[in-house]
Amino acid sequence: LKKSWIAAGVAFAALILGGVSWVVSGPDNSGGQVKELTIYSGRSEEFIAPFFANWEQESGIKLNVRYGDSAELAAQILEEGSNSPADLFLSQDAGSLGAVSIAGLFTKLPTGTGAQIEDIYIAGDRSWIGVTGRARVFAYNPQAVTLLPQSVSDLTKPAYKARVGIAPSNASFQAFVTALITEKGATFAENWLKAMKDNGAQIYLKNSAIVEAIDKGEIDLGLVNHYYTWEVSQALGRDIKVENGFFAPGDIGNLVNVSGVGIMATSEKQQAALDLINYLTSEVAQAKFVKDTHEYSLIPGSKAPASLPELKSIGSPKVDLASLEKVQATQDLLTKVGLL
Amino acid sequence: LKSENRLGSYGLRALVAGVLLTISQPLIYLFIRASEKSSQEILALLSRQKTLEVLGLTLLLLVIVVCVNVFLGTAIAAGLHYVKIPYPRLLLVSTVLPLAIPSYVFTYTWKAIFPALEGIWAAAFILSLSTMPYMILAVSISFQRIDSGIIEVARTLGLSKISVFNRVILPQVRRSISAGALLSGLYVLSDFGAVSLLNVETLTVSIQNLFKSSYDRGAASVIGILLFFAAAIFVLFESILKGRDFESRGAEGFQEQIRRIKNSALSALTILVIALYGFLAVVIPFYVLISRYLQNPGIVAFSDLFSAAISTVSVAGLGAFIAFILSLPLALLATQGPSAFAAISGKVILISHALPGVVVGLALVSFGSRLGPLYQSAFLLAFAYAVLFLAKSVASTTAALTSVSPHLKEVAATLGKSKSGIAMQVVFPIALPNLALGVLLVFLTAMKELPATLMLRPTGMDTLATEIWSYAAISRFNEAAPYALLLVIIAAIPTFILTIPRTAKNEIEQKVRYL
Repeated sequence: LKKSWIAAGVAFAALILGGVSWVVSGPDNSGGQVKELTIYSGRSEEFIAPFFANWEQESGIKLNVRYGDSAELAAQILEEGSNSPADLFLSQDAGSLGAVSIAGLFTKLPTGTGAQIEDIYIAGDRSWIGVTGRARVFAYNPQAVTLLPQSVSDLTKPAYKARVGIAPSNASFQAFVTALITEKGATFAENWLKAMKDNGAQIYLKNSAIVEAIDKGEIDLGLVNHYYTWEVSQALGRDIKVENGFFAPGDIGNLVNVSGVGIMATSEKQQAALDLINYLTSEVAQAKFVKDTHEYSLIPGSKAPASLPELKSIGSPKVDLASLEKVQATQDLLTKVGLL
Repeated sequence: LKSENRLGSYGLRALVAGVLLTISQPLIYLFIRASEKSSQEILALLSRQKTLEVLGLTLLLLVIVVCVNVFLGTAIAAGLHYVKIPYPRLLLVSTVLPLAIPSYVFTYTWKAIFPALEGIWAAAFILSLSTMPYMILAVSISFQRIDSGIIEVARTLGLSKISVFNRVILPQVRRSISAGALLSGLYVLSDFGAVSLLNVETLTVSIQNLFKSSYDRGAASVIGILLFFAAAIFVLFESILKGRDFESRGAEGFQEQIRRIKNSALSALTILVIALYGFLAVVIPFYVLISRYLQNPGIVAFSDLFSAAISTVSVAGLGAFIAFILSLPLALLATQGPSAFAAISGKVILISHALPGVVVGLALVSFGSRLGPLYQSAFLLAFAYAVLFLAKSVASTTAALTSVSPHLKEVAATLGKSKSGIAMQVVFPIALPNLALGVLLVFLTAMKELPATLMLRPTGMDTLATEIWSYAAISRFNEAAPYALLLVIIAAIPTFILTIPRTAKNEIEQKVRYL
């Protein structure tokens, strides 16, 4: 009996070791030619993988992609410091890029990189560059809402009592509140949040949950990113009773955040990494983002995603995107008001 | 001979100390990060109202879940054992099967039916459902070990069935109830999946939020240390409550077929409670996963499912193996009789069990990123699983080795066996099935682990858990469903093995063979 247990143990160990070596094929970086590049991606595989595949074909370089949550990957990069195996970090939002940038872990991008991208979507110190635009909107049910809000302040009026959904724990809502604090001051932001709460704003965990709730008729409006109406409709496989609305031009509610990318200062493959950034910001790739992921291209004058106004005509407020990294004050405020 | 033994004992203690140091890495990491904050900052953070609220909420949740488990879990185990019911094996399996379902999948499936589900009561409900098997399993195993001779004696002395249960059986399983409470309580403290989806901010969620939102690792670490102390107090409290050791007569007692109570009302009640539990904790999750999958079968490539399954099983298996190796010195120490060193070692391991995956993940990122090629290798991920779930392995390994009666060891000694001879020829053979159970338990839990897996997996490797996460993150639940279903089915296999009864007869046969 003892022998059979030992035999079983050996077989188990062999099976596992075999499985592990089958799963992990070691990285291959022999020779001067760059053969592989490692990228940490906060953007989900479903939407970004086709772009990576295209670039792999064009460049002949293999991409090792590590998918994760943008903020968690940023925390991981901060922890790895100069030992990070990453060559690039692609993030869903400017805040996570800002955190890595402040830690001095990004390299400064040369001026020719992503030359077509509008300047306001590039970090002031050129540590990262925007890839796609993501506009804050109010999603709404056009049958239920006849009087459209012109400003986020309108949402605190009795006309919208208990009809608006927000997601205070979500990163995109927090980025909006951070912008609100930066632009209008902490007192204004606090009063607005309190007024929203008193006006019966409904709390959801995610943007997609808000859009689904509007479709079901639980609420009539919600503050989300623009592409969620499309994403939810895709996930459900049918049309939904939800449309995107924009506030009056210049209102803080029309904030345009970006997904963006930076190159790690420790990367020894700067040129290949720059090449990937140039691909992601090229006319071809930008047009593909608009078509396939319904995000905005950041090249001035380019086409907007279907059934949306052009980026220029939204009248997004002038906010320094690098400042969106300061989320702690936002969280403290949300906690103080009782929304977190 | 005596000095040789003492030398061996020092060697063993050194080994144990080495293991403790290894698994204390996350804790060392927390202290290093927290020390970056000034003492005023730490005090301000700990004394702010938010922190106190979160701590209070976490403890409330812990108490509710543990109470539900102690009463309902023990009642279900007792029903399974002492009441005449049809198909007791099948019913036992159905009460343990929820172990195969990760808490985030559990919550997703429940929220698919009741989207409004959230808050502390919802969390208490979901966590009670998903931790109940720990209690049922722990108590069932000790019911199986009770000497039925004592029960017969008590009956002939005129005690009623209820008095027999209260006065003879319960005291003997008290330690198991206590152990079950410990496991489910530590599960509640470290859980992230269920509470975050149900919008309940426990300490774990706070830690995650601080790491994510402010990139303030110092503040997150301070809360991490708070969680560590909460776990420490809970573990100490448990060891006081469980009281004096009941002398284990274990398997050498006389075990005949248990006489089950024949009472139709009691049988009906038992079946009803178990069926209700099975419905809530097994049928509903499976129903949602299967119906989601059937809405769009073939949406996920078979090859993706297959490779994710292979990765999951092999890395979790390697983790279980490492945990088993690490647990051996501790278990051996426990067999040498009670000592302060053994008691403290055991506590340290249990307390570190409460640290959430994100802390262990980041700690191993911090230490591991200096290790070159070892970083982000399958081995380091497996090692993380071992660190996270060592307590499970140590608990069953120790239970296995100490369940061997001291009398038996004395007999072996009088037959001229040396100490190592006794260990190899008497203790191990008897304990082996239970040792295997410890490996299974780590394997099962590691397959479901998510936060540390995301951080430490080899770049490009997908496990079933990470695939579920990546689809759920973009609301593609239909695509997530086949991965969740496969994970639950694979995890159900070790779960099923856990319920196979290990009879005393088997153990006696083994003893006879090895003496």
